[in-house]
Amino acid sequence: MEDLELLSDFSSFLKEKKEEGKKIIGFISHDNIPEELFDAGGFIPLRLMFGGNDDLMTASHDFLPPSTCAFAQSCIGLFSLKPRSYKFLEFIDYFLVSNHCVSDICASEIISKYFNIPRLNFYISYTKTNNSLTYLKLELQDLKQNLESIMGSKIENEDLLNSIKKYNNFKKKLLEFNKLYVKGSEKLKIIQKALLFGPDFHPTLENIIQKYKENSNDFENTSKDVILTGCSIFINDYIIDLIEEGGANIVFYDTWIGNSYFSQIISDDLIEAEKDPLNLFVHRFNKNIYGDHSVPNFLENKIAQILDMYHQYKQKTGKKLAVINHIIKFCDHISIMSSFFKNKLQDQGIPVLNLERDYSKANKGQLSTRIEAFLEMI
Amino acid sequence: MKAFIGIDIGSLATKIVLINEGKLVDHRTERSTYNFKKVGHNLFDDILVKNNLKRSEVYVMSTGYGRNTIDIADDRITEITAHAKGAQYFFPDAHSVIDIGGQDSKAILISKKTGNVVDFQMNDKCAAGTGRFLEVMAHALEVPINEFGDLALGSRKPASISSTCTVFAESEVISLFARGASKEDIAAGIHKSISRRVAGMAKRIGVAPKLIFCGGVAKNNAVKKYLVAELGFEIVSPEYPQLTGAIGAALIAQENNN
Ligand code: SF4
Repeated sequence: MEDLELLSDFSSFLKEKKEEGKKIIGFISHDNIPEELFDAGGFIPLRLMFGGNDDLMTASHDFLPPSTCAFAQSCIGLFSLKPRSYKFLEFIDYFLVSNHCVSDICASEIISKYFNIPRLNFYISYTKTNNSLTYLKLELQDLKQNLESIMGSKIENEDLLNSIKKYNNFKKKLLEFNKLYVKGSEKLKIIQKALLFGPDFHPTLENIIQKYKENSNDFENTSKDVILTGCSIFINDYIIDLIEEGGANIVFYDTWIGNSYFSQIISDDLIEAEKDPLNLFVHRFNKNIYGDHSVPNFLENKIAQILDMYHQYKQKTGKKLAVINHIIKFCDHISIMSSFFKNKLQDQGIPVLNLERDYSKANKGQLSTRIEAFLEMI
Repeated sequence: MKAFIGIDIGSLATKIVLINEGKLVDHRTERSTYNFKKVGHNLFDDILVKNNLKRSEVYVMSTGYGRNTIDIADDRITEITAHAKGAQYFFPDAHSVIDIGGQDSKAILISKKTGNVVDFQMNDKCAAGTGRFLEVMAHALEVPINEFGDLALGSRKPASISSTCTVFAESEVISLFARGASKEDIAAGIHKSISRRVAGMAKRIGVAPKLIFCGGVAKNNAVKKYLVAELGFEIVSPEYPQLTGAIGAALIAQENNN
């Protein structure tokens, strides 16, 4: 079921922002997009984070082969079919083409070109050498200049630092929320909403945390606890219901819509010490061990983090966690490493389900069987 | 409880078994049709009447694609767990299972120590690697499905079918035909192709002897022959390969009630 209320609230939010003179930048990339730069320049970041369906995927086949990742297909489908509840996509003033993965580049280019949305570029390095970090800095400078010329005003360092602090505080709040023991689907909805609305959601998030703390014993969990890793669960995706109906409760989202996002915090000391705020983004990229971008040791970091979460959880609750590796069909980024990933964790006695799927309805029955069989197995 | 019933509602066939004291007492199989609920009810009523049993005297465990929708079931279990249990009914030393059904196929790895499932793989919604693939190809060659395997076994030089996609494989078959390849050789190529695909999936979880081949397609000796060639070891099939899931479900019902 589509969360029409959320989409309609978001539409009103964007409308308001446009009336205030802000411009909207749409993008697909999951990682390393300097939202703080947009914020400081008077832009609103609109991350495409909406789950797909058969119609959306089919509509994208006018532009790309069906072997493109099902999520990127659905993003194109949204612009092609323009479903009523997604009318807010018409508010997008610029589309950012980035290189989180090949699907990201292809789909973003198509969205910008065929749907006539002026394009911005921002490319991210794939290594962390001196050269690649210098390259990233140049990309940041270019992007900053482009944003300044669109708005006709300079982005002051002080404004940028304030935006960085604002996003940092927001992410810290999300980390606090993430520690609460809450039903997995409820937790996901709140994280999704937070990523969609950005720091404007901070006050609501504080109230939510307060409410959950006051009713901390309300959630009685009879399900098996799991970590979700791999691809994010996007807004309105039925997979979360299948997982819960199958008898699992997600206690940790090791995905972009989850830990990978809000763990990327720039330390306060560094913010104080750094003269050029753009260097803070380079530093964050260089030190980032949480993100999903393909950089050296990405997989080893991921495995180490899951092992860490597993052991911490076991120590705290006495319970063992299982891992669901969510693979959106043709997401090479996640699927290529899935066997290696599964073997590595299974060697440590942690059960892993590589759950590959697209957004088609016909897939539902089989997905339920896989999830239930996995839970029966553990 | 006097007896235990396992009902396996597959996309093509519904299978029902009656188990008493761990032994298979009675069974039925019927095409699922669009109204698989009705088919399930009819089979259930029939097996009760023929065995002089009241509803209150049996415990029913459903499995298979329609396991959640059949209302006569007291409990449900996935076909993965059910097949692993059913395979051990026929072969207590079973270590792996390959099940090729009408709409999907699966490979299951069983713990030698506990008899529980330790890993599994299922093919996705694509028809290649399932009984449906064989049906489509038999139709393209105008051969009855139950004669298709024997036709393939008569081949001396199996044709090479490179496509794993049903749609592409069908046009490949037609062009092979046009180039004068014999029906036997094309049929053998088709059987090799499905076996290669299923064996590839099974190898990913490290299947090993003793491997039980079950599901409706296990009756096809050509698939069996090529699976053995692909896997590199012998495989065995139970007496009633298509009943494995239903038997497993009934045995799990019995275990849970003891
Ligand atoms: S789901 Fe995977 S392939 Fe698709 S856009 Fe995201 S990272 Fe790229």
